[in-house]
Amino acid sequence: MDLPRFEHHQPKMTEELLELLAAHSDSAKIVAGGTDLLLKMRAGMMNPEHLISINQVEALHRIDYDDSKGLVIGGAARINDVGQQPDVRRYYPGLTYACDVMATVQVRNMATVAGNLANAAPSADCAAPLLVHDTELVLAQSGSTRQVKLHEYFTGPGMTIMEPREIIASILVPPVPERCGSTYLRLSARSKVDIVAVSVAGLLTLGASGEITTARVALAAVAPIPMLVPQASEMLVGQKPSEPLFAEVAAVVKEASKPIDDVRATAAYRRGMVEVLTRRVLAECLAKAEGGDK
Amino acid sequence: MAKQEIELVVNGDHYFVAVEPHRTLVEVLREDLNLTGTKVGCGEGDCGACTVLLGGRSISSCLTLAVECHQKEITTIEGLTTSPDDLHPIQQAFLEKGAVQCGFCTPGMIMSTQNLLNQNGEPSEEQIRQGLSGNLCRCTGYTKIVDAVQLAADRMVTQKED
Amino acid sequence: MKNPKIIGQSIPRLDGVSKVTGSALYTDDLKFPGMLHGALTRSPIAHGTIKRIDTSRAKGLAGVKDVIIGEDTPKIKFGNWRLVPESQDELPLAVDKVRFVGDEVAAVCALDRETALKAAAMVDVEYEELPNIFSVEDATAEGASLIHEESKGNVSLVRKIDYGDPEEMFAKAYYVREDNFKVHAVSPAYLEPCSSIAVPEEGGRIALYTSTQTPYIVQCLLAQTLGIPENHVRVMKVAVGGGFGGKMELRPWEFCASFMALRTGRPVKFTFTREDELAFGRRRHPMSIYSKVAFSKEGKLLAKDFQVMLDGGAYNAMGPTATFLCGTFGNMLYNFPAYRYFGRHVYTNKPPASAMRGFGAPQAAFAAETQLNIAAEELGIDPIDIRLINAMQTGDVIPEVATIRSCGFKESLTKIREVSGWDKKRKEKKPGSGLGIGCFSFISGGVFNWFNTKYNFSAAEVRVFEDGTAQLHTMACDIGQGVDTVMRQILAAELGIGIEKIRLISMDTVNSPKADLGSWGSRVTLMNGNAVIDAARKIKDMIIPVLFGELDLNQIHDIAFEDDRVFVKANPKKGMDFGEAVYKALRGRRGEPLSACGFYTPRNKGLVSPAFSFGSQVAEVEVDEETGLIEVKQMYTAHDCGVAINLMSVEGQLEGAIQMGLGYTLMEDFKQDSLGRTLNTGFLDYKMPAAEDMPPSEYTEIHTFEEEGPFGAKEAGEGLAIPTAPAISHAVFEATGYRCMDLPVTPEKVLRATGKLED
Repeated sequence: MDLPRFEHHQPKMTEELLELLAAHSDSAKIVAGGTDLLLKMRAGMMNPEHLISINQVEALHRIDYDDSKGLVIGGAARINDVGQQPDVRRYYPGLTYACDVMATVQVRNMATVAGNLANAAPSADCAAPLLVHDTELVLAQSGSTRQVKLHEYFTGPGMTIMEPREIIASILVPPVPERCGSTYLRLSARSKVDIVAVSVAGLLTLGASGEITTARVALAAVAPIPMLVPQASEMLVGQKPSEPLFAEVAAVVKEASKPIDDVRATAAYRRGMVEVLTRRVLAECLAKAEGGDK
Repeated sequence: MAKQEIELVVNGDHYFVAVEPHRTLVEVLREDLNLTGTKVGCGEGDCGACTVLLGGRSISSCLTLAVECHQKEITTIEGLTTSPDDLHPIQQAFLEKGAVQCGFCTPGMIMSTQNLLNQNGEPSEEQIRQGLSGNLCRCTGYTKIVDAVQLAADRMVTQKED
Repeated sequence: MKNPKIIGQSIPRLDGVSKVTGSALYTDDLKFPGMLHGALTRSPIAHGTIKRIDTSRAKGLAGVKDVIIGEDTPKIKFGNWRLVPESQDELPLAVDKVRFVGDEVAAVCALDRETALKAAAMVDVEYEELPNIFSVEDATAEGASLIHEESKGNVSLVRKIDYGDPEEMFAKAYYVREDNFKVHAVSPAYLEPCSSIAVPEEGGRIALYTSTQTPYIVQCLLAQTLGIPENHVRVMKVAVGGGFGGKMELRPWEFCASFMALRTGRPVKFTFTREDELAFGRRRHPMSIYSKVAFSKEGKLLAKDFQVMLDGGAYNAMGPTATFLCGTFGNMLYNFPAYRYFGRHVYTNKPPASAMRGFGAPQAAFAAETQLNIAAEELGIDPIDIRLINAMQTGDVIPEVATIRSCGFKESLTKIREVSGWDKKRKEKKPGSGLGIGCFSFISGGVFNWFNTKYNFSAAEVRVFEDGTAQLHTMACDIGQGVDTVMRQILAAELGIGIEKIRLISMDTVNSPKADLGSWGSRVTLMNGNAVIDAARKIKDMIIPVLFGELDLNQIHDIAFEDDRVFVKANPKKGMDFGEAVYKALRGRRGEPLSACGFYTPRNKGLVSPAFSFGSQVAEVEVDEETGLIEVKQMYTAHDCGVAINLMSVEGQLEGAIQMGLGYTLMEDFKQDSLGRTLNTGFLDYKMPAAEDMPPSEYTEIHTFEEEGPFGAKEAGEGLAIPTAPAISHAVFEATGYRCMDLPVTPEKVLRATGKLED
């Protein structure tokens, strides 16, 4: 199908972008990679009168890392650029993995990490690995910005707390402490090049005596939104890591998931795999934390 | 909607075209510029037949708005060589290794190979397969395509060293 | 027998340069002055009667040049089985009923594609819905509503084979088992979506550029449905982006484009999307298969009762042929003292199933080979040994079908055992890993003439010139498999000239001798190859006398054609250049050009095929016992295709077949909602294997020489689509204990079978 008609804007400065968005907010969509948006428009699921491109806004392409502040990913930073950034590869293995394997090379060259989040697909690959790092988003609109936790950002399939006149200006990922391990595992039941059917990310930080001081487990593709599982953190923090503990946590995480049947996998299979992947994710996080790898 | 005047730099040639904002790059390449080497196999960014390089990186031209390519450098399959007697090493390798059957995926496959080799001149077999993740082929089972990419990479490295 | 040296060489395909540079022209790459764009209005419901069609809104849209519905057309039904007119059950545009979601109801053409699509959506159709039938079981149940009034019980065709006395064998056999299998639909998924352009020519004629594997069949059926002479239709050469069986019939849009081109006097183009292809396009037949086999204690096959219901969807398409062949594939590999086949082609309200690589064989073999593996297990006989006990060999007879003239099946089994490390790996089996086997046999083209052509099955014309070049005219159709190159190799071999000296005019129905049935059923290398040889020999007969006169040769001499020379075999120095010989022959003929037509029609070759290929395949898999994920680690294939004319092409066919076979086994599947609408209409969710999904593969050629084939060649491309599903699913059984009886094999099925998944 051909695309519906729209007016196209390519501002060069952030403020110009936000003003345009404010002016057309009831009938505008931000376009970055366009890899999701154009498909939805072709399918008739969306019909914006204005497309406002953020690609020409230089400031939004930044990918910066600082030991004290962590990682800042601009709203227009491409998935491949993020995944190839040396600090990202060193400190954020889960995000790196997501950026390496999701969709296809071409899509990763076009699409942005922020777009992956803003699109709010339950199966968004970048979501789970960012969730376990306690990521925050800077949402900007003309004249103001606000900072929100990523785990409070998603509200339903395709839905977020973002207002129509807002954009994700940047993604803030805190630095990773010593003796912290994190990872991301994804499973597609069909091809290796596939939308994820189950995704589980984890993060563990160990204290001086080997007890767990921080723990997070996040899921995607198995609930209406990508989500953290707070029960997992509660069960893990303060405990000595062990296989039986991880198995208990995995069972609880499985219960917290709310998958559906679709063409990619059944709910039953997904539920089962949440448990398997959670166990494996926690074991990997522990190995990394103990190995001194970040 | 009103047409926008844009300048596309395709294979080094400058084209000035007026396009409506909803038109995709592949439509403009095929319909307006008569560069029909770029194919449409799915129109949804899944098959890779429409792959071209934009600023040196592979993209799906079926999911790219032409207006977003204003004054950008685009390379299509037609841009890899100026003469059929002087094929690009990737084209030559595809030909020799039997990596081409029906040929419909071939232009996109070759452009993805170029993208891969731009970033990694000496890819392993696994990296080649990953580098072609966005290109489907129904004829070859990919074996000879992977062989061809390997051969092209070897020759291009040698060429550089010479 | 020694073949010319060009036979067996891995010559890069001659259309390769145009394909790697992007200059090869596929149908959608073409445009013509004044060309209009077409679109179809399709039925949104699976089964209903058409009460009323209103085209006025569509006609009123600016830019629309024509809108047609069934009532505007000659209403002539078509189908590839012209010999059985009652099997021709499809109209280019529906008149009274619609039978699947996507059935073509109206067509429009307009100045641009977007307007055409918009207009097609503006054709108002009122339907009265009828009960939907989506399974062969429902279709054949008592009192099921009829999808085609003429077909009682919704069965359009029955095929029976019966020899020996199966019941007696079952009664006395040491071991008998019965199983039910189900196989699913998959898409040919050629990368090039269908596209056709009809260009009106003077005198009410049509030139049709179309993505097809059967130019001649399209020519004939298009003329039939338009009600014009066959020779008024010219099908023209284009590059074709794959077919795999999915492009071997007349398609409704070929009719609509031509019909509207004649009405408007302008070229009309239809190009479809992947969504169209997956939602409405042809598919491989799903089947419900019952199989009962009997063995002696020693593992000798005694009898088989094979009952198959093919889910044909809404129309016959190539289903009748698949129904016929499926029965023959049930007993082609092994000797059965008694065999009974009962095949039924059943209508349902789904997109029509049709030919797809293997033509009934992948389904039959999945059941037959899986059942054989079960029996081997239960009889305590190694799966390769049980095959060796029963395998066909040269000289064996497929009862009531054919005598097999060349057969490397046993050799392939022995070879595959060796290269796969079968015995050792089975002995030292690790948990979660396994080896599985599947075997195949396939036809080298059909001897049947259901299309009822009045011409030979294949034809070629060869012209030679005094500059030493030649021209080959044929309707044979290169859809990617490489026929254009192989035919030139065959001609080059026969005339002894360089392949670069040969210009090829192919796939053009006015510039080649009649006829050719097209690229399907693995027929082209053997049949068209023989026609090329026939023509070349006639040319040689025109040249040879010249040498005898010119060189004053004793008639005991023989003449050789090699290296662009024509010479005395016993004294190679005595001769002349090929071009010079042609020149002299031309002089002798007082200027009459040297040209000759060659033909091939299989005669006295039984009921099915003039030659049969054979082979064995082993798959090695690893299964993650927690996730059920199946990783195919390695494929091994040993294959008897006679003499490979172009080894690289044969390997390419094999490697491609494994991609298709792996997809069929593990990932490709259509999902449909309760109203018959296909849910996965893009490659995002119709998953076929990507480069990362493909295992390494090792290939061994088994050398045989097929007397009926050109230079000893027989089928190479299609049979290989057969063994992969039984081989992989057997390997999964060895790894997990899960025996798949209903494709595809999925991680979830593995986990359920092994008790690793609750609820």
